[in-house]
Amino acid sequence: MPGAMNSATPDLPYFLKALKSRDVEPCIELLADLLKRRQIRTPRLCALATTHLLRRVLADFRGANADELLLRIRSVGRRLIAATPREMVVGNMVRRVLALIREVAEGAILGSDRSVSDEGLDGDSERDGDSEAEKQESRNHSPVRHRPNLSSGISTFSPLKHGATEPASMVPPKAEGELPGTYTPLPIRPSLQTALTQVSTIAPTAQQMFGLFTQPEIDDDPSGVDSPALQSVKSSGRPENFTEVPLKDIKAEVLESVREILDELESVDQEIALYALDHIHADEIILTYTASLTVQNFLLTAARKRKFTVIHVEGYPNESASTVTTIFGGRPQEFNEELELADEPFKPLTAAGITVIMIPDAAVFALMSRVNKVILATHTVLANGGLVAAAGAGNIVKAAKVHQTPVVVLSGVYKLSPIYPFDNDELIEWGDAGVVERYSDQEIVQKLKVFNPLYDYITPDLIDLYITNLGGHAPSYLYKIVMDHYDIKDVNLED
Amino acid sequence: MENTNMSPSSPLPSIVAPTAPDSAIPARDGPMQAAAANSPSGPDTQAAAPKKLSGAELKKLKQAEKAAKRAAKKSEATPPPIQQPGEQPGKQKRQLQPQQEHGGSKSAGQASSLKISAKSTQASRRASVSAPAPAAPPSGPKKRVGLFGHLYGNARRHTIENAPKEVHPSVLALGLQMSSYEVCGSTARCVGMLQAFKSVIKSYTTPQGTSLARHLTAHHLSPQIEFLKACRPISISMGNSIRFLKDQIIKIDPSVPEPIAKRTLVAAIDTFLHERISAADTVIAQAASARILPGETILTFAKSSLVLKTLLAAHNAGTSFNVIVLDSKPLFEGRRMAKDLAAAGIPTQYMPISAASHAVAEANRIFLGAHAMMANGRLFSRVGTAIVAMHAHEHDVPVIVCCQSVKFTDRVALDSIVGNEVAPADELLGYIGGGPAREQLLKTWTETPGLQVLNILYDVTPAEYVKLVVTEYGSLPPSSVPAVLRILETAQLGM
Repeated sequence: MPGAMNSATPDLPYFLKALKSRDVEPCIELLADLLKRRQIRTPRLCALATTHLLRRVLADFRGANADELLLRIRSVGRRLIAATPREMVVGNMVRRVLALIREVAEGAILGSDRSVSDEGLDGDSERDGDSEAEKQESRNHSPVRHRPNLSSGISTFSPLKHGATEPASMVPPKAEGELPGTYTPLPIRPSLQTALTQVSTIAPTAQQMFGLFTQPEIDDDPSGVDSPALQSVKSSGRPENFTEVPLKDIKAEVLESVREILDELESVDQEIALYALDHIHADEIILTYTASLTVQNFLLTAARKRKFTVIHVEGYPNESASTVTTIFGGRPQEFNEELELADEPFKPLTAAGITVIMIPDAAVFALMSRVNKVILATHTVLANGGLVAAAGAGNIVKAAKVHQTPVVVLSGVYKLSPIYPFDNDELIEWGDAGVVERYSDQEIVQKLKVFNPLYDYITPDLIDLYITNLGGHAPSYLYKIVMDHYDIKDVNLED
Repeated sequence: MENTNMSPSSPLPSIVAPTAPDSAIPARDGPMQAAAANSPSGPDTQAAAPKKLSGAELKKLKQAEKAAKRAAKKSEATPPPIQQPGEQPGKQKRQLQPQQEHGGSKSAGQASSLKISAKSTQASRRASVSAPAPAAPPSGPKKRVGLFGHLYGNARRHTIENAPKEVHPSVLALGLQMSSYEVCGSTARCVGMLQAFKSVIKSYTTPQGTSLARHLTAHHLSPQIEFLKACRPISISMGNSIRFLKDQIIKIDPSVPEPIAKRTLVAAIDTFLHERISAADTVIAQAASARILPGETILTFAKSSLVLKTLLAAHNAGTSFNVIVLDSKPLFEGRRMAKDLAAAGIPTQYMPISAASHAVAEANRIFLGAHAMMANGRLFSRVGTAIVAMHAHEHDVPVIVCCQSVKFTDRVALDSIVGNEVAPADELLGYIGGGPAREQLLKTWTETPGLQVLNILYDVTPAEYVKLVVTEYGSLPPSSVPAVLRILETAQLGM
């Protein structure tokens, strides 16, 4: 099917065009293929493609109720994730859409059941604009009441009610929290081990405690009744299945919300760039790595007001070409005009009067003592505040730690994944060894093992600050943003 | 571009490099001794050269003087002499090269190694001249990275154009090999230089009215050293051996007849090479290889002849172990290292430095080579070494440095910026396919204000990352470097 247009390499625009003209099933198939062949790469493009596809799936879905819709999205999501398991954003977008559907469906139930429904519905579906999200979140459920003396790791999976999902929403956040009276304080917290193993989906204890979450569909799970946490959730009025929610009641709203996610994906770089002046002072020496539109935008925004020096590290071999094109021409290799909605054309930092020094990745340690700040783009951010970034970022971040240089990570919320990294090696994708050593070199090919890891896992303690489109956060706070954007029932998409 | 230079020439460094000094030095000796044997031919070549050039001699002398003046001044003046090769000196090159070739072949007789190296030097020089010549303008002050402003000397010499006429052909050849990295690595350069100086001394005749002890150092040796310095800043080991040689020359009684004095000096150099390098290498390789246990994974970075020898010694002793070789742009020295190890039958993996965190996690022991050991215990080595050592420190993997005492210096270093070597920046842009793409990059680089490329060659590894320094005096902690220096001093005085 993609072979039909083999004259041009299929990429995201190709997929988006196909999405308009083809049926849903072939489109899912096509995207899975493109992801599998890494013809759509980079988190941003993957997120866009996934969201566009999910929107189409939603629009075309002809089911009876919300639960069927959830199942359908989950199954599509599983196929996409299987195609590119380490591109977390694909899963993220699927989970966000799932959370959306839950929100809207919950709203529909509450709307019909409760007198406070208006408030609840509004709060659920429209809450959470930009950086207000966390403020409001804290207003809604006081952390003191709901999160007593627990580490952030466990809190990630605490069965609190989850906020709504559209951070880019233009609707001003509601001042009143939703359903303030319906929460009861959690009487008992699950133990740390239980909470952690819960996500790995294998521990039987987890099933006992959180059975609800490991079997997220339409649930009649009796084991969950034992859990005080669960009871609290139930008493908070979260319906466990949406079989009685007719699809037609929620479809329009869900589609609208998905469109807002797309808006967010398009404006995320600009939103992050708004914080640039808060973080860059005059005459600073900033070190950055890889070619990233987010970082470029950020630095360009700062460059309008301040003069500073950028040390751009060229990561050999995977990032090298795109880094050079970014430094020399201002746009990463994957840059695609059709997708770029920014009004002004992209320009290199040097055009903004910034001194850019390109160094090879080996020289990072040597220069780190003179660097004021490290600003990194990331591949994925994980729920514990750690991240997965291009190979070589580990060298930079460690060197920064050794030299006490602050490390700032720029990441759209869409890169924030509810996955908790239990096995770091699992997160690492290994790339084509041919870019390290040409296969034409007989001596090398026959006798040497050549490796080319694409990513590094970076632990949260090495990061000083995250800047997302919602603002700046400490790594320890990310769990909260995860909770705001995803539903715990969707962390594990497997059946 | 370096890359293409390196690979065809790769056998050469191994000839020149003291990979097996007992064999390498004689091999090197071959041509030199031949030169000595035809000692009449030594003056012969010198006589022949002026004869041939008599037409252009005056002009050349003037140019040499000019060049010397220019060299003494700032390097802003360097573009003109480099631009020259494109035009007028084209003829000169053709005139000069035959001379060098003749000189080489005459003095070398049938021994081929020098001849080959001279030839390939020419080839590579031609390649490198044709490419970096357009890149010369960017070496202007605006393309210099401010922090490293103090390190930019004159542009590196890639031709024998305008070389002072006293410079011996073997030094000319060596200089070009150094500037094109064909002879690369502290030890190889040191050995190469001493071998070249042996032929310099052999072909030296004391002018009337002076004594060898006074004239040789000041008037004959220093132009050779200056030429080598112009080709590439000399290494610590070269500086140490030059100091040694000067000491030897000064010690010679003026009453000693010249042939005997020369023989004494050559013998002293041979002893030095044997004691301080080849024997030291063997001792160190033996001591260090005893630290490799069966089944271990050894990690090394770039190429060190001494580490290679150590690993081969362990392999020959029957220990079975794996090696991971990390490598970096732009020199890719590790490629040679990995090939040599694999050729010996050691299971070898090869990765870029961006994979350092993955590689170190798998390693049991890290062996590093040194460019120099500073008196404060810090290791001065190929840029990127510090990254590997840092990860090793983090993972509690012992870092063992193999370093002959000839590389110890009483200088101290805190960071990699005060003392370092800045290599031509265009080497970093070389890998991109060469040809038009590279030209385009160079052009952009030249024309874009504020766009700088930094190519430093060394970094300083903090002493606490180094667990052990293996020298011919024993295995010591890095804090004992000054103690070794003391031993050396007393030994020197004793001599």
